[in-house]
Amino acid sequence: MICAGIDAGSRTIKVVLLESDTLAVIAADTMDQGVEQDALAMRLLERLLQQNGLRRGDVHTIVATGYGRKLITTADATVTEITCQGCGVRQRMPQARTVVDIGGQDSKLVRLHPDGAVADFVMNDRCAAGTGRFLEVLATRLGVKLGSLGTLAGKSQSPAIISNMCVVFAETEIVGLLASGIGPEDIVAGVQASIATRVAAMAGRKVGSPVVFTGGVALVPGMDDALESALEEPVTIAPDPQITGALGAAILAARRASDR
Amino acid sequence: MNEAPRRITLDEWDRRHAELWAAGLREPDYGGPLRRHVDDGDLRLLSLEMDNSAAALRLWNFLLTEEERLHRARDEGKKIVGTMKDLGTVPVMAYSLPDVVAFYPDGAWWIPCVMQRSAGLLEIADSLGLDDSFCPVRAMVGAYVNEAHFPIPELTTCSVGATCDDVSALAQRLEALGFPILWWEMPHRRRPDAEEAAVQLSGGFRAPESQIAWVQSELQRVRDALEEHTGQRLTDELLAAGIERANRVRRRLAELRRLAFTADACPMPALEMLIAEMLAIHFCSDQHETIRVLEDLLEEVENRVRSGVGVLAPQAVRVFWVNPVADLRVMNLLEDAGGRICGTEYLFCHALDPIPEDLPPMEALARMALADPMAGPSADRAERICAEARRFGAEAVVISHIPGASHCAIEAAVIGQMVRTRLALPVLEIEVPPITDSMEPTLRTRLEALIETVTERRKR
Repeated sequence: MICAGIDAGSRTIKVVLLESDTLAVIAADTMDQGVEQDALAMRLLERLLQQNGLRRGDVHTIVATGYGRKLITTADATVTEITCQGCGVRQRMPQARTVVDIGGQDSKLVRLHPDGAVADFVMNDRCAAGTGRFLEVLATRLGVKLGSLGTLAGKSQSPAIISNMCVVFAETEIVGLLASGIGPEDIVAGVQASIATRVAAMAGRKVGSPVVFTGGVALVPGMDDALESALEEPVTIAPDPQITGALGAAILAARRASDR
Repeated sequence: MNEAPRRITLDEWDRRHAELWAAGLREPDYGGPLRRHVDDGDLRLLSLEMDNSAAALRLWNFLLTEEERLHRARDEGKKIVGTMKDLGTVPVMAYSLPDVVAFYPDGAWWIPCVMQRSAGLLEIADSLGLDDSFCPVRAMVGAYVNEAHFPIPELTTCSVGATCDDVSALAQRLEALGFPILWWEMPHRRRPDAEEAAVQLSGGFRAPESQIAWVQSELQRVRDALEEHTGQRLTDELLAAGIERANRVRRRLAELRRLAFTADACPMPALEMLIAEMLAIHFCSDQHETIRVLEDLLEEVENRVRSGVGVLAPQAVRVFWVNPVADLRVMNLLEDAGGRICGTEYLFCHALDPIPEDLPPMEALARMALADPMAGPSADRAERICAEARRFGAEAVVISHIPGASHCAIEAAVIGQMVRTRLALPVLEIEVPPITDSMEPTLRTRLEALIETVTERRKR
């Protein structure tokens, strides 16, 4: 039996197709988010099905998660990204006790029980300073691609200190730093440290180890180091960190299917 | 006319009201269809779901006609007292005098929500330099300035000291604008030293006798001012009778809370329970009617509990809620997410406790005032929250921040930590501004995630 998880995030849509008996991933992919979230998600789902010789009718249950989960009309159920991240990470890294998920528009820290269930969580989606949005603003301001930020940061010898708490003001501060001759590599490293510090502050107390890092920002080289430094704990990037939410949704879809 | 208990929209209330009338409903003079309040500008009602009982109708109409009641009191020559920041003590004193009406100007903080900011009160406050770095209670300043809501009281009192920095700052600004205020000081409640004479307060707190004496002397100044402004003597006998009436309100609320928080099927929605609890502070400008409104509500809840019917799914997750919300809609949102309220601490839980009737009245009132959770260490407040959450079998705790409120920044960490450590319950912190429409998806996600977390715990 095949089940699907759709993670309708703020910046990208992620779909995972799962063989529900074995929990083996059949296929997974991502697509940029847009206005027609439902249509885009369906397009991605159909594409994955087609690539794997499947049809829509082959999918028994779909669970949607993410910011746009309520807009996915074909979903049999919706589950929050907090629960799905916990479930997806548990599948990939059963020993995980803390999940740090930094996406394009929010960041969250999920504490897990030893059995993988969510114990508690905190979430920031009101301030862009602790999210991938800060990196997007930075890339635009520096005129570089998002993917090259990590390489730049790797060259930093003395990360800049970003004082402002707000991305809008921090952008002004970055202009000032550039004008004063601070190199882009030090500014990128400074911004990465700033995001990581914000996430650590959100945790409010010591986090349980091992810490697993998920979300699109986990793909940016150097962010894991910044996070390790801020949390004072080793941080491991989850395999395919962008799709752990969709994977969790697919696993929950499989559970629903078996309960029926 | 009986109908299964449920939350209904304003449109549904139009039909429901007609049906209730056709079935013989008799309403007090402030009764009528809820729709008329929307016509008066209370636009938020269009976004709320309310309980479908006649008792809830009476509660809503009572709440939404307070301004009319205050203006009528002024026309009838009654003396009006504004009791700022004080949560449940000075109103008891004021209502002990005949022909005196007390109200809670800080209650204007709900006007931006109920009128969906159409009244412009926050904008007036902004223009006076009281921007959104202050608590939404700054709407009160706007209401004093434009005089479009409540009549300016003959006497305004405000407790300061260990209460709330924001309200103190706002009230000081109000006085600078030409509205005289009688200030009375609330000391920071401290734990008695080992050899110090101490008294037990409600809520499980203890305080030195010397602090009680201080608060009593401050309340005596308020008593003198009430006598001066009303031209009446506020005797101990009148105070004792006033305390007895206040306790009637508190007893009914205590029973209402007990039933609503412990029944298997939730018999009354969170929104109506929040409004009912608020009546304990200020009686919505009519103490006698408050008792009748609560009796109606209690009877409805008793009937529902007896019949085993409720307004929510029986498996709803039991949530203890800390701090009142600036946007009433959030209480609907919790229930939409699968939660129900089982215990609350809306900053005035001391006003729900009975006032001792076996003590001299002023001492009894001083003890109650000093039991204010905000007047002591945050750890005291957290202790009480833990005890109540345990008592009502809460499965999760929501700490709702009031944007800009100075106390919220420091309390939440203390309360959250104690709840996690002592009760091992998940804690969710959220911030609720007067209108949450733009952030509803994120609030919904947080609340749903909390419910999912508890649901998963139940399976373990």
